[in-house]
Amino acid sequence: MSTSILAFVLAVSAGQLDDGFSTAVIQEAYGRYTPAICLVTYTSEITNPTSGEATKRDNSSLGLIVSPGGLVMAPGHMQLENSEPFNISVAVGQGDQEKKFAAKLLKKPDDVNICFMQLQADGASFPYVRFTPGVALEVGDPILLMGILSETLDFSRGIVTTRVTAVLEKPRPTYPIEGAIRYGFVSGPVVDSQGRAIGVVGFDLTTSEGGDLYVRSGHPLVYQADLFQKYIDKPPVETTLPGGEEAWLGIFTQPLNDDFATYWGLEKRGGLIISSIVAGSPAETAGLKPGDVITQFDGTPIRAKMDREVIGFTKLVRESQIGKPVNIKILRDLQPMDFQITLASRPKSARDAGEYVDEVLGLTVRELTTDVRLLLNLSDDVKGVIVRRVKSGSVADLARMRPGIIIMNLGDHPVASIDEFKAAVEQIAADKPDEVSAFCRAGSATGFFRLEPRWEDNAGKESGK
Amino acid sequence: MKRQLVLAAVAVLLAGCATLVAGCATLPAMQAGLSPVLRAKDRVAPAMVHVRPVKEVFQSGKREEVSVVGSGFIIAPDGEKGGRYVVTNEHVAGESKFVRCVLFNKEEVDASVVGIDPYTDIAVLKLDGDQGKLPYVALGSSAKLKAGQVVLAMGSPHGLARSVSMGIISVTDRYLEDHGDEMVSPFNTWIQTDAAINPGNSGGPLVNLRGEVIGINARILAGAENVGFAIPIDIAREVIDKIIKEGRVSRSWLGETLQPTQVKTDDPAQKGVVVADVDPLSPGYEAGLRPGDVMLAIDGAPTDARYEEDLPAVRKRIADIPVGTRVTVSVLRGGKEIEVPVTTIERSLLKGNQVEFSEWGFTAVDMTATMVRRAQLPSKKGILVTGSQNGGIAANARLQSGDIILSVDKTEIADLGAFQSLYKNLVEAQKPLVMLQVKRGALTRFVLVKQGEEGGPQPDTASLESEGGSANVN
Repeated sequence: MSTSILAFVLAVSAGQLDDGFSTAVIQEAYGRYTPAICLVTYTSEITNPTSGEATKRDNSSLGLIVSPGGLVMAPGHMQLENSEPFNISVAVGQGDQEKKFAAKLLKKPDDVNICFMQLQADGASFPYVRFTPGVALEVGDPILLMGILSETLDFSRGIVTTRVTAVLEKPRPTYPIEGAIRYGFVSGPVVDSQGRAIGVVGFDLTTSEGGDLYVRSGHPLVYQADLFQKYIDKPPVETTLPGGEEAWLGIFTQPLNDDFATYWGLEKRGGLIISSIVAGSPAETAGLKPGDVITQFDGTPIRAKMDREVIGFTKLVRESQIGKPVNIKILRDLQPMDFQITLASRPKSARDAGEYVDEVLGLTVRELTTDVRLLLNLSDDVKGVIVRRVKSGSVADLARMRPGIIIMNLGDHPVASIDEFKAAVEQIAADKPDEVSAFCRAGSATGFFRLEPRWEDNAGKESGK
Repeated sequence: MKRQLVLAAVAVLLAGCATLVAGCATLPAMQAGLSPVLRAKDRVAPAMVHVRPVKEVFQSGKREEVSVVGSGFIIAPDGEKGGRYVVTNEHVAGESKFVRCVLFNKEEVDASVVGIDPYTDIAVLKLDGDQGKLPYVALGSSAKLKAGQVVLAMGSPHGLARSVSMGIISVTDRYLEDHGDEMVSPFNTWIQTDAAINPGNSGGPLVNLRGEVIGINARILAGAENVGFAIPIDIAREVIDKIIKEGRVSRSWLGETLQPTQVKTDDPAQKGVVVADVDPLSPGYEAGLRPGDVMLAIDGAPTDARYEEDLPAVRKRIADIPVGTRVTVSVLRGGKEIEVPVTTIERSLLKGNQVEFSEWGFTAVDMTATMVRRAQLPSKKGILVTGSQNGGIAANARLQSGDIILSVDKTEIADLGAFQSLYKNLVEAQKPLVMLQVKRGALTRFVLVKQGEEGGPQPDTASLESEGGSANVN
C-alpha cells in the first residue's frame, strides 16, 4: 500500500516530466525536424571477402538532410568494405508531397560510421537539420529520437522519447541509448530537452565489419554533432582517394594488460605488444620483432591495457608524417631499446584496388593488395590477380573458374598485375588460340584451368548477327 | 557435390539370423533351383558382420566416446582355418578403442583393430577368441566389371542388420575429388551403384551374382537417390593384405599434386600428367620438380593421365614405389624433356594424433604434411587446436579451434609429444601464467593462459547472461 502512494506522490511532483518532454515540446520538435527526414532506397552489391562472390540486394534506410543544398547523412552500414551501394534514390517529403531524387555517394569518413550523399537537384532548396555541437549529455538525460516507421505504416515519420543509458568517457565521449531502436531511426536526429538537434543515432561497426577504429558495436549510440559537423561544413569528396595518404608502420599489436605485465615482471602501466609484423613493412626493415613491447611512439607514451585503447596508437601512426623518421621506444626481453623508423605510406587496400573487366574470358579481376594477402595468408612470392567475378556462361565459367581464385599465369604470360593481365588477354584476343591454360592458386593449392575462348561468338556479335 | 559417410550414429537393431554355416564356394552353389540372386545372397550372408565400434570423437574441446554402427564381412586370407578377420571401413572402426561384432548366429564377439588405412577407407579387425570355423566370403575381382551388371549391397542400413538390397553397377570408375581432410580417395576410383545404400551400410560388401565380393560400400551422395559408391575390391585386397601382414600401409611420396593433361590441352597427343603443385617441404621440390611440369614417366614407365579418372592409377604407381627408392622422373618443361632424380619418402599419415588436455579444456592434433601446406607454415612445428571447452582455462585465454600453438613460454613446440611433456610439467607446477604464441590465419598473437582460475570468462567478454547464470547456481 505504502509503495503505491509513494509512486503517486513522485508522479505528481515530477508533473508532466515523467519522460522529460511535454506533448507540446514533442510536437514542436516533430514539426521542426521531420521534414528533413527522407527515405533512401538503394541496391547494394555485397562481396564475400574470401570468395569475392558478389550478390545484389535492395535496401532502404533513413536519410537526414543536413544542408539546404541537399547533403544527406545515412547509416554507415550502407557503405561497407565489402558492400557498395548504387542505384540510390532519395524520397523527400511525404504522401502527395513526396519527390524522388537521385543521389551521389561521397567518400565515407573513417572516424564515424556515417554515409554522406549529395542529392542531384540543381538549385533546389531542401528543409534541413542544423546541429548544435558541443552539448555534453549526462546519464538519464531525456532525448527525442525521430525516424521512419515501417512500410506498412507508409514510411510515416515517427518520434520516440528515451534517455541516455550510460556515458562512456574514453576514448571519446559516447552515449549509449536504450537497446531497442528500429532500423528506420538509425541516423535520425537526436534532440535534447531544450529542443536542440545535438546529434544522430548511430551504430558502430563491429570489428568483423571493418570497424577497427570503433569498438562500441551492438548498441545504438548518440553520435554527437561534434563527430560529423566538419563533414557537413566541408563535404567529403566524391571519389575514393587512392591509398597512400596515411602513414604505415606494418605491425599488428595487442595491449599490454596487467596479466602480461605480471608475466614479464613489468610495471602495470600498459603498452603495446607487437604480435605480428607485415613482411616488407618499415617495422620489419627496422628490425622490430613479435614480442617487443612498444612504450613510446614519437614522444607519446603508449599505455594501452584494453583492446579499445589500441585505437589511439593506430590513429597516432596513421596521422604521422610519411617519410619522416619517428622514434619508437620498446622493451625487448625487459631491455629498453630505441628505434628510428621512417614510416611508409599505407599500402592500397582492396577497396581502392584497381579492377579490370575482361569480356573475352568473362572475368573481373582485381590486383592483389596487402590486406587481401594477409586475409588469404599469401606469401610474397605469390604474384597474380584475384578473380572477383565470373560471368555466368562465360569461357571462365565453363572452365569452372570461381571468384577468389588467383591467376598467376595466362598461357605463357605471367600476370602479376592488372596491366599484365590486360596485356595478356589482349594478346590472346589477337592470337585467337583454341585453348589457353591458366595457372592459378586456390587457397593453399595451385593448379591449371583450360579456357576455350569462343572466337566465332564474338565475331558474330561484332557483325550484328 | 557433398558426399556423406555411410555411417549410422545410433545402434537400432542387433541380430544376425543367417542359418547357413558354410565355407565359401561349396554349399550354396550346389543348391539347385535357387535364383541367382538368392544363391549369391546365401553365399555371402553367413559371413556378414554387424560392426559396433565405440569411437573416440573429439568435439568442442573434449574427448568423447560414441557408439556407432557399421557393416563388415569375414575374410579368410589363409583360406584354411576359416575366417578370423573382418573387413570394414576406416570411418567405421578407425579411432575406436573397442569394437563389438555381431556374427551371423547372433553371437556377440569383441574384436581388435588390426590396422587402418584412411587413404582407402579400409580397416581390418580380428575377432577375439576361438569361434571355430567361421564362414567367410570369396573375394572376386573388380577389374572386369561392367556397368549394368546386377549387384547386391549387404549390411546394416540404419543399424538394421542382415539387409540385402539389389541394383546394378551404374559406373565402374567414378572419380571423386577429395573432400576436406576427412574424405580423400587419391588411389582409387569408385564403383557407383544404384543398389540402396544407407547410413550403416558402411563397410558392407557389394556382391556380384556369383556371390563374390567385388567392392566395399562406403559412401553415398547426400541429397541424391540411389547414388552409392563402393571401393573396388582389387584396391581393397592389396590394402587388406598389407594391413594383415604389416599392420599398416606405407606409401611413397614425392610431394606432387597431379592434374590430367586435359587441364592444359585437349590434344590427345599430349602424354604424361600435369604437375599442378609441389609441396615446398617435399623431396620432389628439393629435387627441382615444379608446378607446370608435365611428368612423362617414372623410371621409364609412362605416367599418362588425360582424364581425371586416370589420375588414381598414376598416384598409386608413385605410392607403390618402395619408400626411400631413388627414381628418375622424366618431365617436360618449356618444350624440353629433362630428368629429375628423386628419392621418395614415406607419405605422412592422413590424420594426426589427437589428444585432449582436460585441465585446460582443449583438444589438439599433431600437424600432418597436408595441414602444414594448408596453413602455409614454414615447417611442421606446432600443434593445431581442434576445440576448446566453454568456461575452460584455454577458452578463457581465447584459444580457439584452428589456432596453431607455436611456442610455450618461448620454447618452440616441435610436435604433440613435446607439447604434452611441457604441458604435464606446467599443470603439475600450477604455474599461474603461461604464455603461448599462437598462429591464427596469417597472423600470430600472444595468449596468456591463467592456470587455477576457472572462475568464468574474462570480464571484458563476460555477458550479463553468464553472470546471471552463476548467480543462479549460488
